[in-house]
Amino acid sequence: MRRHLVASIVMLIGVTVVLGFGYPLLITGLSQLFFRHQADGSLIYRDGTLVGSALLGQSFTDSRGNPLPGYFQPRPSDAGSGYDGGDSGASNLGPSNPLLIGFVAGVNTVGLGGKPSKTNPFATKSDPACVPVNPQGTPVTSPAPGQRYARNPDGSYVCDPDTVPERAIAYRRFNGMAPDAPVPVDAVTASASGLDPDISVQNALDQAPRVARARHLPLSRVLDLVHRYTSGRELVFLGEPTVNVLELNLALDRLR
Amino acid sequence: MTLAGWEQLLFIATVTVVTAPLLGRYLAATFRGGKAPGDRVFLPLERPVYAALRVNPESSWSWRAYAAAVLAFGLVSILLLYLILRLQGHLPLNPTHAPDMPPLLSFNTAASFITGTNWQAYEGETAASYLAQMAGLVVAQFTAGAVGLAVALAVIRGITGSARTVGNFWVDLTRSLVRVFVPLSILGALVLVGQGAVQNFSGFRTADTLAGGTQQIPGGPVSSMEAIKLLGTNGGSFYTAGGAHPFENPTGFTNMFELLLVIVLPFAIVMMFGRLSGRPRQAYAIAAVMAVIFLGHTVVSMQAEVHGNHLLPTSVSQVVSGTNPGGNMEGKETRFGPEASALMTVGTMGTTAGATDSALDSYTPVGGAGAFVGILLGEISPGGDGGGLSSILVLALLAVFVAGLMVGRTPEFFGKKIRGPQMKLVVAYTLTIPVVVLVLGSTALVIEPGYSSILNPGMHGLSEVMYAYASSANNNGSAFAGLSADTTWYNLTLGLVMLVGRFVPIVLALAIAGSLAGARVHARTRATLDTSGPTFAAFLFGVILIVGGLIYFPMLILGPIGERFVT
Repeated sequence: MRRHLVASIVMLIGVTVVLGFGYPLLITGLSQLFFRHQADGSLIYRDGTLVGSALLGQSFTDSRGNPLPGYFQPRPSDAGSGYDGGDSGASNLGPSNPLLIGFVAGVNTVGLGGKPSKTNPFATKSDPACVPVNPQGTPVTSPAPGQRYARNPDGSYVCDPDTVPERAIAYRRFNGMAPDAPVPVDAVTASASGLDPDISVQNALDQAPRVARARHLPLSRVLDLVHRYTSGRELVFLGEPTVNVLELNLALDRLR
Repeated sequence: MTLAGWEQLLFIATVTVVTAPLLGRYLAATFRGGKAPGDRVFLPLERPVYAALRVNPESSWSWRAYAAAVLAFGLVSILLLYLILRLQGHLPLNPTHAPDMPPLLSFNTAASFITGTNWQAYEGETAASYLAQMAGLVVAQFTAGAVGLAVALAVIRGITGSARTVGNFWVDLTRSLVRVFVPLSILGALVLVGQGAVQNFSGFRTADTLAGGTQQIPGGPVSSMEAIKLLGTNGGSFYTAGGAHPFENPTGFTNMFELLLVIVLPFAIVMMFGRLSGRPRQAYAIAAVMAVIFLGHTVVSMQAEVHGNHLLPTSVSQVVSGTNPGGNMEGKETRFGPEASALMTVGTMGTTAGATDSALDSYTPVGGAGAFVGILLGEISPGGDGGGLSSILVLALLAVFVAGLMVGRTPEFFGKKIRGPQMKLVVAYTLTIPVVVLVLGSTALVIEPGYSSILNPGMHGLSEVMYAYASSANNNGSAFAGLSADTTWYNLTLGLVMLVGRFVPIVLALAIAGSLAGARVHARTRATLDTSGPTFAAFLFGVILIVGGLIYFPMLILGPIGERFVT
């Protein structure tokens, strides 16, 4: 065994030097030589200022976190407080978790007393799947007797805004769509990385009228841009057609 | 599934069918002994290694010596990686200012990467320094893959060869690294950088966003890690989001390229086995079983994910169209869509990579069950580098034995009689991992340190815990990541499970090989069971399903299957 241990130590020192340092440095050298832009993170500069990366999504919200109507909005994000490049990640919410789908009658609904119930006692007029929040704004997924809930002025429950049904309601309201208009699924679900740079083409088309109104542009000019910044599938069939949000918004800003 | 989904699956299948035999031919020439392709370049690199190690590259060892070297190398590697992680805050090359990793998390991470599991309980962006990722984790990813291949070579020699010895570990390890993993990694890494994966040492850059805020843009030597993470069937990523992060997997093309980097080499190793053993038909039979299982769990998941989550409101459009990827998009990237995400993520579950490009915890119950099945059948579709072949050869011995009992003949594999001593080892091999998974998993479900880490309620929570143990024990490393795994209980138990799940099967497989090495080879007669035809392949498939299915069926009922029918 001793001779194996000695050989192991020698081998390990060797591979640490060659593979731990030599190999990454070789790749770095070659990449910086041939693919400098990509290797640095596909960075985008505007007037000499770094404004982001073509591969990373970013938030288009004001200082209070409200979405800016003049910009196309990316997907919901679970990276930190939203598109945090230092904290990538997903929601990891399961497909029947009330924090994701809301309280769906007969599936995961709970009565005020904490027992499973056939209907959702927190349902509001606009959101039958409403998940209530406590007065601090934290969603309550395990109602119990004595629990206090936040209420709207009209007495209805305040709903957790991050469930898919609530996001769909907000999306329609923000974009001036009819209350039962279909919403593309990517617009109301969070990505795996929390840094998804893209939205679906449908999502961009649904947002275009709002952006045009906010920027006082004819809709056709905004739609032209959407089409110009739509990438097809790679090699015709790999992946999905997408619209890069940052590049599209940069192009919008250039229209001025 | 949609046309685009089938096209991507067909693309993967075609490239694999074309490239795996070619690569397998190269591997066989490399490891047969004697002259090999590229000797002029590689030999001058290898000779100094043997000189430094003081080994005679012509020597060949007993299985015991081989296993001892594997264990010694594993032990030393874990100690060094542990030290690097513990001290990373005090070491150079740390532009993100990662602090020293705490002791238990360092143990868990060291065990995880040395065993090729790559379970990650730490945050990649902020909790591991560039130095630790390069000199610690990447080195572990190289050696884990190479050790797997080396052990498979020893197992092949023992089961099929005529010598009493099984080879020389240092030679197998060195040749695997120099002639297979390093050249392929350099190629893979450069392709990934060209597509947009990053490779720099700049730490975080701060961007001033259009909306007037700031954004941290991460950097790091990412591509170099990404390539060996996949080629070595490791799965551990530079960033927390792993293969979903646009800096690791930037396009729909890289998504499929990364899947190919994972699965081609394990299939090529099976083809190599066919050439080295002189029975290519045997290799085709094994590869066919692997491919059928791969297609099974992958297609089911793709179908489930593109179908979507039926609990979302109907006004949320999950219908696939030219402008809408549709399907279950929670935890998935727009550029991949639901089908390619499931293809990549669940496709790597039958290897020990578990390199995900989407959040498994948010998969539909059936989609998630596909990932479970890939792992629970023992990582043989096509399995880790070498590990997949070793595992399926052990299962083939079991199948030969069962078939032998059914027809009343002494079972033989490669003309060697399979008797009591071998069968005891085979049974120990097949039972080790299920026992560890079920005992520790069910313990975690009933004690507070175990169940308090669960994120999702109900049956999905049971899946989170059982998946963690199944993934660790099979050295997969993917996760239902809602589980808070950076706790004393999980760092300790999962770390131990990974070590058991790696080294016990390796020693048992080597012992089986050793017990067959030099055994008398009986001539083939008309009554010899043909182990390379479709009949045996189907029989082997059945044995795998029964062994995996019966052991884990109750758990699957309580987890994903139950969730499917209750919600």
